[in-house]
Amino acid sequence: MSEPLIEARDLCVRRQGGLVLDNVSLTLGERDFITLIGPNGAGKSVLLRHLLKFESPNSGTVKHRHAIRIGYVPERFQIDPTLPLPVRRFLTLNNNQSADAVEALAAEANCEGLLDKPLANLSGGELQRVLLARALSSDPHVLMLDEPAQNLDVSGQLQFYQLIDELYEKRNLSVLMVSHDLHMVMSSTRQVVCLYHHICCSGAPDSVARDPEFVQMFGAEMAQMMAVYQHSHAHDHTHDHDHAHLHEIKP
Amino acid sequence: MMTPMLITAIALAMLAGPLGCFVVWRRMAYFGDGLAHSALLGVAVGLVIGMSNQLGMILVAILFAIMLLWLRAQRLLATDTLLGILAHAALSLGVVAMALLGVEDAELHDYLLGSLDSVTADMLVYVVLGCGLSLGLLMRLWPGLLLMTSSEELAHAEGVPVRTYEFLLMLLLGVLVAAAIQIVGILLITSLLIIPSSTARLFAKRPETMAIGGSVMAALCMLGGLPFATAIDVPLGPAIVTLSVTLFMAVLTGRLLIDRFSSRFKKSN
Repeated sequence: MSEPLIEARDLCVRRQGGLVLDNVSLTLGERDFITLIGPNGAGKSVLLRHLLKFESPNSGTVKHRHAIRIGYVPERFQIDPTLPLPVRRFLTLNNNQSADAVEALAAEANCEGLLDKPLANLSGGELQRVLLARALSSDPHVLMLDEPAQNLDVSGQLQFYQLIDELYEKRNLSVLMVSHDLHMVMSSTRQVVCLYHHICCSGAPDSVARDPEFVQMFGAEMAQMMAVYQHSHAHDHTHDHDHAHLHEIKP
Repeated sequence: MMTPMLITAIALAMLAGPLGCFVVWRRMAYFGDGLAHSALLGVAVGLVIGMSNQLGMILVAILFAIMLLWLRAQRLLATDTLLGILAHAALSLGVVAMALLGVEDAELHDYLLGSLDSVTADMLVYVVLGCGLSLGLLMRLWPGLLLMTSSEELAHAEGVPVRTYEFLLMLLLGVLVAAAIQIVGILLITSLLIIPSSTARLFAKRPETMAIGGSVMAALCMLGGLPFATAIDVPLGPAIVTLSVTLFMAVLTGRLLIDRFSSRFKKSN
């Protein structure tokens, strides 16, 4: 097995006395697609910021594979309206993208029509697609997204998740995404990690949905709904993080 | 007599334009004020150690930035509270130190409001050198600074050393404050940063246009401020700021009129 792209071991993060992250370990390998779920205040964004090495933990380690490129879509992106920044300029900041490359990126992230608009005037959905184009601009090994669809309406959410799926299929990258949209996440077959300060459970959605901790957190109804959706047979929720790929691309 | 003053004014304006943009975009106006307040302590430190005022001010500005960043990292108090504490502490310490050192009130007044005959030939070298080097550094940092102004995490993920960049930006502001303080004065230095850039914002469509526009506006006001201050015998700082606010109001009025007419035009079509 190849070296993991990002490996976090035993992360503990303390804030104002309480443990936000309690012994969290997570490994992201090549071609992984992991969705991180959990209630508000569970520490999902904190975990992401530590996986980026933007903050350092109280204890534990985060290792990046050498020369890793990470494309990141932040949760909050509020550009000051006094900064006059057209989308095209934003996509070329601090990299040396040619005009053609910018057009291609915009096409891939479905935002060709926005290139000459000021960044501050975009709607929530438009901004997310522009941020996605920016995240792709470094040709990343890892695409990390923090609640990318939270400001979108239902059809916008669906389209955005489809776009991520397409990118995952087309490009050779791994995806790590924080999501609030349980119905979307749980109806896919990607690996799900459920976080509430510690990792409660992880695995395919059907096994996660039957985990007692998940049921306690998101309600029995949700778990029942999942059981109906996916009528799976085996009940083998695992507490370790196996990385069985359900979407392995055949060579 | 006037030539060193003119050269100084142009050098300052070139740096104040782009730096002022970051003050506006990153909401650092209060930080700029705090830094300016600390400059008086810098002058006192310079007097005690026996080095130039400018070096004393830059030294104190660096300390100011380090203390602010350190206190902010402790997450105990909000940044504007910390700035309020540090700024006024530095100002009061500065005034007390100046009094103890026997500096006269008239000179204190010059530091607060700026003065016409403050630029000497050897100071000119400092200012031009400081502004030139700072402008070079700022141009190198420009794309990364812009990226982290849009999102710090995003910039970090793409390999911009965000903390270092932030510190360097504070350092550059310290250099500008040290260079400009004797002309514009402690009380008004922030306006030299934010009013010209805000004026340029009214017509700029790209960040670079806003930066260059800010420099041009700052230069116009400083060059106009010299004869204005001489003619009616006021300190230079208030003369420059009065001009820049007038220019701001004029451009703002023009902007609003254009917007109104163009929206009428669209409606009638």
